[in-house]
Amino acid sequence: MKALDIRARMFLAALLPLALISTLLAFWALFARFDDVQSAYEQRNRLVSRQIAMASEYALFSGNQTQLQGLAASALHEADVRWVGISDRQGRILASAGSSLDAPQLPADTVQTQGFLPHRRLDWVSQPVLASDIALDEVFDGAVVQAARSLGQVVVVFSHQSVDDQKLNLALGGGVIGALSLLFGTLLAIGLSRGVLLPVARISSLVQQIGQGDFDQVHAQRARISPTDPLHDLQVSIHAMSDQLWANRDELKAQVALATQELRDKKEEAEKANLAKSRFLAAASHDLRQPTHALGLFVSRLAQLEHSAQTHALIGNVQASVQALQNLLDGLLDVSRLEAGAVQVNKRPFALTTLFDQLAPDLSDAARDKGLALRIRPTGAWVLSDATLVYRILLNLVNNAIRYTERGGVLVAVRQQRARGLLQIQVWDTGVGIAPEHQQAVFNEFFQVANAARDRTKGLGLGLSIVQRTADLLGHPVALTSCLGAGTRVSLSLPGAERPTGPAALSAVEESMLADLQGVTALVVEDDALALAALQSVLQGWGMRAVGASDTRQALQQVARGVRPDVIISDYRLPGDTDGIDTIAQLRGALKADVPACLMSGDTDVTLIALAQDAKLSLLHKPVRPAKLRSLLRRLLVK
Amino acid sequence: MPEFLRYLIASCYLGLAMAASAQSVPTQVVIVSSDTSSAYEEASKALVDALETAGLRRSAVALLSTEGLARQTNARQLGSARIFVGLGVRATQSLLSAGLTAPVLAALIPRRSFEQLLQSSRRKTSGQLCAIYLDQPLRRQLALVRLALPQAQQIGVLLGPDSVAKLPELRMQAQGGALLVRHAEVASEQALFPALREVLDGSDVFLALADPQVFNSASIQNILLSSFKARVPMVAFSPAYVRAGASLALYSSPVQVGRQVALIVMDALQTGHLPEQPVEADDFLVDVNLSVTRALGLTLDGADLRQALRRLEHLP
Repeated sequence: MKALDIRARMFLAALLPLALISTLLAFWALFARFDDVQSAYEQRNRLVSRQIAMASEYALFSGNQTQLQGLAASALHEADVRWVGISDRQGRILASAGSSLDAPQLPADTVQTQGFLPHRRLDWVSQPVLASDIALDEVFDGAVVQAARSLGQVVVVFSHQSVDDQKLNLALGGGVIGALSLLFGTLLAIGLSRGVLLPVARISSLVQQIGQGDFDQVHAQRARISPTDPLHDLQVSIHAMSDQLWANRDELKAQVALATQELRDKKEEAEKANLAKSRFLAAASHDLRQPTHALGLFVSRLAQLEHSAQTHALIGNVQASVQALQNLLDGLLDVSRLEAGAVQVNKRPFALTTLFDQLAPDLSDAARDKGLALRIRPTGAWVLSDATLVYRILLNLVNNAIRYTERGGVLVAVRQQRARGLLQIQVWDTGVGIAPEHQQAVFNEFFQVANAARDRTKGLGLGLSIVQRTADLLGHPVALTSCLGAGTRVSLSLPGAERPTGPAALSAVEESMLADLQGVTALVVEDDALALAALQSVLQGWGMRAVGASDTRQALQQVARGVRPDVIISDYRLPGDTDGIDTIAQLRGALKADVPACLMSGDTDVTLIALAQDAKLSLLHKPVRPAKLRSLLRRLLVK
Repeated sequence: MPEFLRYLIASCYLGLAMAASAQSVPTQVVIVSSDTSSAYEEASKALVDALETAGLRRSAVALLSTEGLARQTNARQLGSARIFVGLGVRATQSLLSAGLTAPVLAALIPRRSFEQLLQSSRRKTSGQLCAIYLDQPLRRQLALVRLALPQAQQIGVLLGPDSVAKLPELRMQAQGGALLVRHAEVASEQALFPALREVLDGSDVFLALADPQVFNSASIQNILLSSFKARVPMVAFSPAYVRAGASLALYSSPVQVGRQVALIVMDALQTGHLPEQPVEADDFLVDVNLSVTRALGLTLDGADLRQALRRLEHLP
């Protein structure tokens, strides 16, 4: 059965008892009246029969048929009488009146009997006619034989019709009264259910508004509560509850706001701390860079001089140490730049071979020092990525491979996955390998397998961390496969690219045409005297003529003295208001020529990189490796 | 008074009498009553009172019901009784079947009933067995008719099996009084009305003779109605008929009977035997239904008629 809604339920609850009671009462009254009518009818029938019997006693005794006929005829005038028959004690009908069709066939009886003729729907009453009994003197009764008192029988047939009509009228009247009372009950039930439903509906909407948080609307309804409302108390309670909810909500809001503020403060505090750390790191690395830069240049210069074999070996060791120091600083610099989000991705198609070609000179020395074979398998593949960042990844991977390999060699190769349009740059080594449980951890910063003593000649443990961060930045997945004692393979997957039809970047042919530095004049602007001296010394070692200047003014003076440099090398940060970019611009203005120039800086500032790019100047980060500087100078001079 | 209460009182009365007799005089008279209805009570009371007046000790009289008699038949108290009085048909029947040696006097008994009892018990009336008939003698009844309705010439009677034997006597008596008897016999109930009609047609007076087959509680109403419609005055034999609509009734009251019995008992106690032949009632009453007689145009007085009858019979 379909569930009834509350309106129907209320309606039924109000109507059903009333309907039930009124129906029962109507039926009860009706049946009581039916009984009354029926019993009155039967009583009257018996009475009429008895009267006829009494009246016909003497006529029967005397056998007066005329009188009996008269009696029967007059009895026919009584209401409902259809037939009257008077018979003697032998059952012979002496007189009758009415339609003989209605006459029943009855045996004589000494008591009054009555019955029903179903086929004619008629009632009959048979009344024996008895002689009147008169008490006589008992003294004569001793011999009295009780005589039969029956004289005959009167049978009267009555029609049920008038009773049926009366009953029908009663039923109709009862039905009308019942219908009216039901109608009244229905109206009353509707009224009652409305009386309850409307307040319930009000409460329902109230609760709905509370649920929607519409407290203003709820508050507005409070004034409209009628004291005569049947659910007045409930409404008042709900309003009280709503007020409490409102208050709680406001309190909660305030608490949330407070907590949010606290969180914001904490965040700002943390950010400030992080910024302070970054600044410290930047400052520290910058300040470390200057002396390291100078030291590297000095040692490089020292190695160019003639020494005894023993001294030469010592210088070699010093050089290796400086190299390590510089690598450490580079790593720190990369990490801090990556962390600061200062690295900008500049994806474009390039030939992988340009990176591979650069890799060989940068790392073959280190491999050779450890007696390892560094093999780089040539490739003609082009990829779509940031060449600088990919190169940094490769540098770190190959460095790592060399560092952890004692025997055998390192192989760099490219594998094509044509189906997915991807290329895999794979770096294989025959090193110690990484245990499976460390294979994920090696990508964390400063994690080094089997270097609990933190031997710094084994590096800082930043290499793979930088690789991971850079690869994430580029969106290139890095995979590591390794077997302990059997070697490691690290793969970098990057999208392939079509070879562009236009002029290529630096090609191998152009590379071979790099200019010779012999006899080239360089103007070096550097405020740090030590670094200036070191750089000058290194440049002179390469057969160049190095003119130094501690600031812009001195540099301009050098130009004014007639120095015509082939290349300008300037520190970015210079005393006074001017920086390296300004200085270069001023020098170029003074020389009236677009002299090749490059910038050097110990800063890791992102803006500086952007500024350098805008000014179309190459930027070298201190400490500048002599090989790198030399390579850059040769390239600049070719242009 | 409820019947059982009457019986109780009678039993107590009897018990007291027996106790007294045991101590003083032995029982001389035993009265057995058929019933405890008022007629028998009145009769026995009148009898006892009259015996006492006549000098018999109260304790010498025992009152019994028919059941009491059956219980005490062999008791010694009854052995001393010198006379038994039966009031009514049943009491008489009990006494006759009790095999008593003392004389038995029956009273309040219709003549026809007594004769039937004699037949059934194969006894005859004698000094040991006698009766006072309840029925009034036909002579007296006809005398009353002549007194009350001097112009009557024809007298109608309905005769049933019990009363048909009276016809010759009736005719004889009527002849003496210059009356013609118009009679009809009623063989069955159905024949009652035709017989009645026959009798009433042409009769000046209708004399009812006791016969339960003809006159009974069921028929009396219609007989009276017929007689009244025929404007024939009815002379009946009991006061109930007068109450029901008969013009006249001639009868002996229980008290009158009781007194007459007392006289016979006292006589028998002295002589040691009863009258040889049944005795007629020597006292009587005449009742008149004034409404009916007035409607029939008659003016009658019961007391006057009684006195006239008594004078005719030379009774005091």
